[in-house]
Amino acid sequence: MLVELLRTKPWLRRVLSGLSVLLVLGGLGLVGYPFVTNMWTDRVQERLDTQIASPELQQAYKERKIETGDSLTRIKIPALGVDTVVVEGITPSALRAGAGHYPQTPLPCEGGNVSIAGHRTTYGRPFGNVDQLKPGDTIELTTPIGGCVYRVSREPWVVAPTDMSVLDPTAERSLTLTTCHPKGSAAQRLIVRATWVKDLKAA
Amino acid sequence: MRTVQRVGAIALSALLMTAVLALPASAQTQTIETRRESFIATAAARGLDLNLFGTRVTIGQSSALINSTPLAKASGAGVALVAGTVSTSEVTGPNQSAAPAKACVLNLPVAELLAVELACGQSRVDTANGAPSAFGAGSVAGVDVLGTTLLDPIIALLRSLLAQLLPVVDQTVGTVVGTLTPTLGNLLGGLAGNLGLNAGSPVAPVSGLVDNLLTGVERATQLLDVKVGDSTSTATTTAAAVTAIANAAGAQIDLLPGLTVAGAPLLSIIVGQAQSVSTFDRATAKSTPTFNAAVARVRLGLPLLGGSVTDIPVQLNTPLTLLAGTPLESTISLGAGRTVTDPDTGAVASYADGVSIHLLKGVNGGIALELAHAETGVGGQTRLTSQQQTVTPVVPTLAKTGNDPWLPLTGAGLLLAALGIRRRVTAAQPARTQQRVSR
Repeated sequence: MLVELLRTKPWLRRVLSGLSVLLVLGGLGLVGYPFVTNMWTDRVQERLDTQIASPELQQAYKERKIETGDSLTRIKIPALGVDTVVVEGITPSALRAGAGHYPQTPLPCEGGNVSIAGHRTTYGRPFGNVDQLKPGDTIELTTPIGGCVYRVSREPWVVAPTDMSVLDPTAERSLTLTTCHPKGSAAQRLIVRATWVKDLKAA
Repeated sequence: MRTVQRVGAIALSALLMTAVLALPASAQTQTIETRRESFIATAAARGLDLNLFGTRVTIGQSSALINSTPLAKASGAGVALVAGTVSTSEVTGPNQSAAPAKACVLNLPVAELLAVELACGQSRVDTANGAPSAFGAGSVAGVDVLGTTLLDPIIALLRSLLAQLLPVVDQTVGTVVGTLTPTLGNLLGGLAGNLGLNAGSPVAPVSGLVDNLLTGVERATQLLDVKVGDSTSTATTTAAAVTAIANAAGAQIDLLPGLTVAGAPLLSIIVGQAQSVSTFDRATAKSTPTFNAAVARVRLGLPLLGGSVTDIPVQLNTPLTLLAGTPLESTISLGAGRTVTDPDTGAVASYADGVSIHLLKGVNGGIALELAHAETGVGGQTRLTSQQQTVTPVVPTLAKTGNDPWLPLTGAGLLLAALGIRRRVTAAQPARTQQRVSR
């Protein structure tokens, strides 16, 4: 019946043809969204690489005046092959860099519970495989004024998105990584906890 | 292929529905109570307050009080302050109640001068669903004022007065009054006036009347007989209003009952019921008082001068005096009701003032009675609320670093829908066009 209707009304065929084009574009956009974000993050990381080595950022770091979205530290996870620049802040725009530092937590390598959030399937997916980390794996943070090494202290575990207790201060120097769980979903959060091992000399 | 097209159509529909239903959150409002409702209501009624030659007794007393705490109090007394005839109850807080058993005493002597046939007090209170109510009642079946010794001077006086009538035979009222001693003359003159008799009225055979009166005097054993109805006080709460109602019982007071022919008392005073009502409107905070004052009439039981027994109404604010100038002089005053309003708070009170009776003023100070008094009062303020917009509190969450899973699924659905539409359009194209396309 629809075919008969389309046969008798050329204008309707043209409208539906246009609609099908829009649907294709929309579908491709949604399906290709993760790939697009990865490309975007690659460009952002290039900028951040340059910034983190700049004297201006070093000065700002010393004065503890890092703006949201600016380079803060480089995180390396040898077990997973992760090497990415973490920015200050966890706003949606800041996290387009791939990983961001919770501003209410201490700066990297300082006393307390340093916390960093990272994407798992988009925007470069720096924390895509953190579920594979095991106790004993090392995580290195390098800042404009120094660096330190942490060691994973327990198996990663899952919490609700509203469980802010994972960011609570700790008596010992700690590092907490958060990312969404399961992959492709924001229903829960996966948490990695590491404890400080040693400081690195400034480059 | 048809299945694939259907899946694509479903995915597209789901996407459109999500877009339509995912409406932006609207600002929420909440009701803030800026002032709690408060109210109070009281009611009190008194059947009879008797002052018998210096001894005071209150009979048939009740009271009720409620407020918005919620609190409810009530009391009822057959004879005030006499154990066994008083009932009280009180509760504070919601969903409580108390209803003690009725307290009654049979044949209760009071102060050696009174005998109460049956005196009862009752009370009950309730605060179910935060709506307080209270009820109090006091009742007596009958009050007899005894005191034979008190009668002696009265009896002696009556004998003396009546003896003076013996020589008087078949004369007019004016002549009879003129020939008697001033005391007796005043007594008879007063009676004549109260009975509506004038100087020209003939006098009943006095000798026979005097004989009857003397017989009655010899027979007299009771000074006063009082019959008082129930006195009730009620305070209630409904969704619309808080109401206080006080009912003061009617009464009949017989002075020297059985004195005259056929057992009629010397004097009967009959008092009707008095009521006071006050209402607080919970919606408007307006309080309204009303009352129904008692009415009274006097019946003389002394067919002394030939006229029949007559009811004499007591006029409002006009005291009625009987037997003036004699030791038996008695005055009856009828009080009017009144209402009072507080201009600042709007609280109101209503008073149904009772009847005041002073009997036998010349005999040891006489007997004073106050009866049929009822009063109520209410006041309060309404609950006030205001609407405040509230910002939906943001629940802090850990940073969102993942996809919404419906995104890629929707994208796939859009592609399938596009494919299905495309095939339909192609199938509907004219044959020549299809051939060109296939080339």
